[in-house]
Amino acid sequence: MAGQTEGAGVDRRQFLKVLGTAGAGAAVLGGCSTEQVQKLVPYMVQSEDQVPGIPTWYASTCAECSSGCGVYVKTREGRPIKLEGNPDHPVNAGTLCSRGQAGLQGLYNPDRLTGPMAKNAAGTWDAIKWDDAIARFAAKVAAAQGEFAVINGYGPSTFSSLLTAWTSAVGGFITNYQTFSREPERLANQKTWGRTDLPLYDFAAAKHIVSFGADYLETWGSPVEQQRGFAASHGFHDGTMARAVFVGPRMSLTAANSDEWVSVPAGTEALVALAMAQVIASSKGNSAAASLADYAPDKVASQTGLSAQKITALAQAFAAASPSLAVAGGVGAQHRGAIELCEAVNLLNDVAGNIGQTVKFGAALAESEGYGSVEALFGRMGKGEFQVVLVHDSNPLYTLPRGGNFGASFAKVPFKVSTAAILDETAAACDLILPSLHGYERWDDLMPRAGVRGLMQPVVEPVRNGMHIGDVVLKASKTIGGAAAAFNAPTFEAYLKGEWQKTLGANGFDDSWRETLGKGGVFAPSAPVETPKATGAAVSYTKPAFDGMGDYILMPYPSMQYHDGRGANKPWLLENPDPITKITWQSWVEMHPDTAAKIDVREGEIVELSSPHGKLRAQVYIYPGVRPDTLAMPLGLGHTEYGRYAKGRGVTPLALLGGGDGNGFLPYLSTKVSVALTGDYHKVARVDGMPRQLGRGIIQTMPLAYAAKGMTPEESYKAAGRNFAEENPELEQKALEGWRERQIEQTQVGDYEPTDMPQWGMAVDLSRCTGCSACVTACYAENNIPTVGEEQVFRRREMSWMRIERYWEGGTDGEQIQARFSPVMCQHCGAAPCEPVCPVYASYHTPDGLNGQVYNRCVGTRYCSNNCPFKVRYFNWLKFTDVAWPEPLNLQLNPEVVTRVRGVMEKCTFCIQRIRGAQHTAILENRSVRAGEIVTACAQACPSGAIKFGNVKDPADEVVKWKGDRRGYTMLEATNVRPSVTYLAKVLHVEPADFHGAEER
Amino acid sequence: MRKRLFLGLGVLAIAAVATLTLFRRGSAQQTTAGKPVVAAVDPASLKGPRQPIFFRHDIHVGRNQMQCQYCHYTVGVSNEPGIPSMQTCMGCHFLYVTGSTPQNKAEIAKLNVAWQSKTPVQWVRVHTLARHVHFPHSLHIKALGPQACATCHGNVARMAQVFKVNNVNNMGFCINCHIERKVSRDCSQCHF
Amino acid sequence: MAVIAHDPSMPTQTHAEVTRDVVRTITEKPERGYYILAGSMAFLTLVLFGTLGALLKYGLGLAGYSPPIMWSVYITTFVFWIGIGHAGTLISAILYLFRSRWRTAVYRSTEAMTVFAVMTAALFPIIHIGRQWLFYWLIPYPNQRFLWPNFKSPLMWDVFAISTYLTVSSTFLVIGLVPDIAAVRDHVSGWKKKVYGALSLGWTGADSQWRHYSRAYLYLAALATPLVLSVHSVVSWDFAMSIIPGWHGTIFAPYFVAGAIYSGIGMVLTLIIPLRKVLRIEHMITDYHFDNLAKLTLLTGSILFYSYSMEYFISWYSGSPFEQMTFWRRAFGPNWWAGWSMIICNAFVSQLLWFKKIRTSIPALFVISIFINIGMWFERWVIIAMSLTNDYVPYAWGQINPTWADWCILAGSFGWFGLWFTLFYKNFPIVAIQEIKEMIPMSRRKSHAGAH
Repeated sequence: MAGQTEGAGVDRRQFLKVLGTAGAGAAVLGGCSTEQVQKLVPYMVQSEDQVPGIPTWYASTCAECSSGCGVYVKTREGRPIKLEGNPDHPVNAGTLCSRGQAGLQGLYNPDRLTGPMAKNAAGTWDAIKWDDAIARFAAKVAAAQGEFAVINGYGPSTFSSLLTAWTSAVGGFITNYQTFSREPERLANQKTWGRTDLPLYDFAAAKHIVSFGADYLETWGSPVEQQRGFAASHGFHDGTMARAVFVGPRMSLTAANSDEWVSVPAGTEALVALAMAQVIASSKGNSAAASLADYAPDKVASQTGLSAQKITALAQAFAAASPSLAVAGGVGAQHRGAIELCEAVNLLNDVAGNIGQTVKFGAALAESEGYGSVEALFGRMGKGEFQVVLVHDSNPLYTLPRGGNFGASFAKVPFKVSTAAILDETAAACDLILPSLHGYERWDDLMPRAGVRGLMQPVVEPVRNGMHIGDVVLKASKTIGGAAAAFNAPTFEAYLKGEWQKTLGANGFDDSWRETLGKGGVFAPSAPVETPKATGAAVSYTKPAFDGMGDYILMPYPSMQYHDGRGANKPWLLENPDPITKITWQSWVEMHPDTAAKIDVREGEIVELSSPHGKLRAQVYIYPGVRPDTLAMPLGLGHTEYGRYAKGRGVTPLALLGGGDGNGFLPYLSTKVSVALTGDYHKVARVDGMPRQLGRGIIQTMPLAYAAKGMTPEESYKAAGRNFAEENPELEQKALEGWRERQIEQTQVGDYEPTDMPQWGMAVDLSRCTGCSACVTACYAENNIPTVGEEQVFRRREMSWMRIERYWEGGTDGEQIQARFSPVMCQHCGAAPCEPVCPVYASYHTPDGLNGQVYNRCVGTRYCSNNCPFKVRYFNWLKFTDVAWPEPLNLQLNPEVVTRVRGVMEKCTFCIQRIRGAQHTAILENRSVRAGEIVTACAQACPSGAIKFGNVKDPADEVVKWKGDRRGYTMLEATNVRPSVTYLAKVLHVEPADFHGAEER
Repeated sequence: MRKRLFLGLGVLAIAAVATLTLFRRGSAQQTTAGKPVVAAVDPASLKGPRQPIFFRHDIHVGRNQMQCQYCHYTVGVSNEPGIPSMQTCMGCHFLYVTGSTPQNKAEIAKLNVAWQSKTPVQWVRVHTLARHVHFPHSLHIKALGPQACATCHGNVARMAQVFKVNNVNNMGFCINCHIERKVSRDCSQCHF
Repeated sequence: MAVIAHDPSMPTQTHAEVTRDVVRTITEKPERGYYILAGSMAFLTLVLFGTLGALLKYGLGLAGYSPPIMWSVYITTFVFWIGIGHAGTLISAILYLFRSRWRTAVYRSTEAMTVFAVMTAALFPIIHIGRQWLFYWLIPYPNQRFLWPNFKSPLMWDVFAISTYLTVSSTFLVIGLVPDIAAVRDHVSGWKKKVYGALSLGWTGADSQWRHYSRAYLYLAALATPLVLSVHSVVSWDFAMSIIPGWHGTIFAPYFVAGAIYSGIGMVLTLIIPLRKVLRIEHMITDYHFDNLAKLTLLTGSILFYSYSMEYFISWYSGSPFEQMTFWRRAFGPNWWAGWSMIICNAFVSQLLWFKKIRTSIPALFVISIFINIGMWFERWVIIAMSLTNDYVPYAWGQINPTWADWCILAGSFGWFGLWFTLFYKNFPIVAIQEIKEMIPMSRRKSHAGAH
């Protein structure tokens, strides 16, 4: 595979250049654009696996976070155009989250540096040559005489070990630091079991899941894998489903997907855990019971604000289900008592007998040093102990709290080097930038856990003139000499192969290497599960302290989209609404309605938050899912650098936080803030109109008991004593006899004759959907959907063909608030209202049951959208396509889908390009399309496998089974438009008596 | 006396040249019947856009009877017909096929230069299909056979310089064929 | 005699006076005021086409559309103008067939209004579509691509309705003008004489010409009559054919037609009250005419009143939560003020006309007519735009907030309409000379034998 990437290299770059000017193979639609002279640029040498017009897939590994998901990179004519999960990969098993898919917009980001740069005396940047850059770097390192520090943000990998070894060879000091590296858990495990590694949590096996602040569906741990597990256990299957509880001060997406959100003050989660442990232990006669006596439910009730019965009930439910699973940690619970919390949860798992069942040690890698070391490192920088510092794949000056004076300490280092490909906050403070290559441009690997080694290979000529830092250090070693001279591999690729040879074996290496590349790495069967011996260390609880005298606890939480901020420069992630608040392009502070009423602010008003460590101004979002005593803010925005999309956008709560206390972790949740009104207002770019269902049955639910009985939603509403519609008097009943049937008949008049044509349909299982919005990003990537920006979102002109609708239930008069999520795309109605009203047949019904939308026929009367009951049609109000993809972002565009000009209506097509593609292939191979052969982008991406697409007429097709499910219903049945999308009702852990069917209807 | 001799020689020479040229033209005219012209042609005088290299489809396809698929190698398997890589050209022109006429020699020399300097020749596109139409070449080849290229592209075997015979962006042109052959006219077959 | 003499529909002047008074409006030099009026109208027209240019360049996004409100100010204004036209045709055609004599004095101005209103309305279907330059795709024309417009779409019906309406009413106006232009021709001189001569199509007033003329006029009146009902019914189906709560109403056709005539008469009043003053033809268009117009207003206004209440009743009786929510929000939703201004301006204000005092008080009528214009624009806005703010899926609900591009087009449309009308009344007989003459009683014809 090295062959074609090198062999055809130069020419491919040529090719890219030309394509770039020709609009990335998806030129704007419209006759005129085709008339100008276009050039055809041939390859110099045609590579074997590049067939023009046919995508080539390469296996690689996602480096957006340290989960290390495996990806397949879809390339066309040498350009990666889509990322999809590697089905063989144990972590993500073929799916991928939004952040992972948006990796392409990192690869093609318009703000990537064009080459190495050095800061001159004037403080501005000079572009320099690579040889020069490496020479300068080498000279400085050599001169540093070991007063040389390295901050490496890249996960465990051949490269990281190379860097570590190399650093010590040149006498330097290295710390491997990832932003959210779960230190409290490691430290707690140290105390509980005397080992600092992290276990794998088996969500799929757990029958009862309790999370203490850990947002396992968002950023904590390995979200894609955990979501898959969660869907497997918590999704309704064979008459049952797991129960999930979330304990914490804010209703995160994870909490919203749990069956219960137990709202407790920040810092008291540990008490709940201990009390639960006490109940279970004493009921089981476990020895731990004695030591836990002080934490009996009635003793902790007052502090947690929960009743003793409640805690006892939680404990009994937890004990009753076996195996169960309790998890803790994450930024959401990272207060000064975080370690004790994790210890308490370890104990809880222990007494419940989950160790070795759902808490599996042995598979995870040894610790990365984490925050403690980086804190120490900056301390030493402050003392001037370092001459040179190298920052790789990390942006500490942004991700570390402003209160910690890290910037000042960093500035004390005379010569600072960054490998950032995009000028971020840290790079801006450096003296030399050696822009690294993106994960899909370089040779590399990543080892998220023992037995899993994901490989990366260059699938595209470097978009910008970067160089992998691995090659840099190897080249530098030559000049540095000394111990470094041992690192004499000609290139990092050679070094990597050398290292891999040790695992793959020298004989027949080329073949095994090629095979491994094709697979995407080595995925050994998961390591044997160890059951560690508890040290029996006593568990204690001390109320965590908070900085500042403010009235409100500030709760920063990692944004699903931006993670620690690395996602903030990618339009897809910025425009993909936050799953909970549905806000795009902005940061906000979440405030409970009561709090808002007390200090008299409305949504969008700007308040000033001040803590001992700093101030910031943020716009208010009123959210019943956060405790009245708490204000929550997402991390990730508020960059002062980092490219056109991120720079100056929003604020970050890090501005209000201080550094750590030297306990080895960063207490995010340790600050109290006071709120002051500013009188300013900035409209919130929300995409949800009315967040309540008004009893319209958009997202229908049913109690587990009824679902298990195989009732339909309708039957379950009736059974729960909540009638579908009011009963009609007898005479009316008579009059209405067969009326519904007649209506449906009516709508079938003029339908296509039953032909051998397939009928495409979709089914969505709402008991699996978590609202994570990975499908939305997939849709953007597959269908060349333009991002429109904050200003246009104010007018609700976002183009997301697929949207996740989020509705609130309850939340009023003290009732627990709940969220419902549902993906809504074009329903491809059988009796589509959009079709008859189009004067030019731009919207019409295809013989295979789709709502065709012929963009180039559309004149833009927009009647179709008015008449669409689901409002899933999107109009090009302005020349969005001209601004959405500044070069080279346009290189990502999918050549199989045309981009739409302004003045044209567009919508979900069920990925018709994939349908037609499969049909064409089938014709060429003299066969018919196989069942399940066609997968839409959304269904492919969904980590919880909630979407199924297929041919309704083919009994062999999965989708037929799904549509036959008793839970199935179609949206807005009253309109009788006969959608091709069937939703399977969400199943609730609720007693039929308390079933709020009325609200959903 | 000497004068006469020179004069005679001159006359002879002129006559010889004249007859030769006459003969050549004659032969050229003869060949036009079956075989295409291989005489020197001024590309500027021909229809169609002028290419960086005066590539003679009439010679390659007409005289040498090469299959379209030899160069447009993906036409049978992909939506895209495929433009031959420089390697494909050099495959024949590297050593032995260096051209019969001075003009051809010159043009082939250009090819060599391009190959040496690793700068691909930027051909001027003749047929550009509007981006909002999807035309799977492979399906049409499968349905109409490998000789069907002429249906849209005209008989390139007789084109010294390729020019546009049909406006492929004229939807009527497509539809007529689809009606004659009773194939689907569903919009979403081509427009998505 | 006496009986006839007291008939208020009868002109009080002689033939000669009629001709003189009307021709005077054309021949005498306009005052500064006229130029200012015409100038400002011309300016607004420039605003209209300037804005249209901007829309063409950058796209419809300049206007304040925010999904799900895909139709907003433009379509509202379209329906507003097409509605205006109807009163004209009603008065000029239907009342002609019914031989109601009071129409004579006002019909010319109303017919002119019709034509210009339809000309204005006809701009909007083009302005409001996304790719304006492709509007001709809505016209069925044979093409080798075998593409045909969708005759099921109400928008197609619209295309036909408007084009028919424009053709018929403009022909009707021109035909009616011929003898009067001839009359003007006989009173002007120089190049004007040539122009009017050409426009009068060689009218000599010969008996045969009169015979053909009156036939043609009658047939055209008969032809125009059904359009009064059909055109606005078709326009109403643009909405009634959809499934949007608030649009999907079975009463829409009659409801819209009544509204159209109501709004049209409102506009007539707004126009001719100042006009008769400016042109000093109060003795031709008298209280009697206004009284009749006012009665027509009262009738149509009451039909509207009924329709409004019916809409609310139906939405309640339907039992459909979607319908009910829509109408609840019309009255008490975020845009309640629009909903109420429509009901007050139309349903309530029109009821004042039960009193003869108000019917015959010119100032009162003028004020009411302004109310009617505003109210009717709001009616369309409420029905069209506000129904779209909240239909089936709550998540997709939105709010309307128009921008400068909306208001410029709206104001510009008034300019465009006004410019035509201003030019018309100064250059053509705004009162039908020969029809007035026809009604002059025999007695006076005798007494003034030889005049003319």
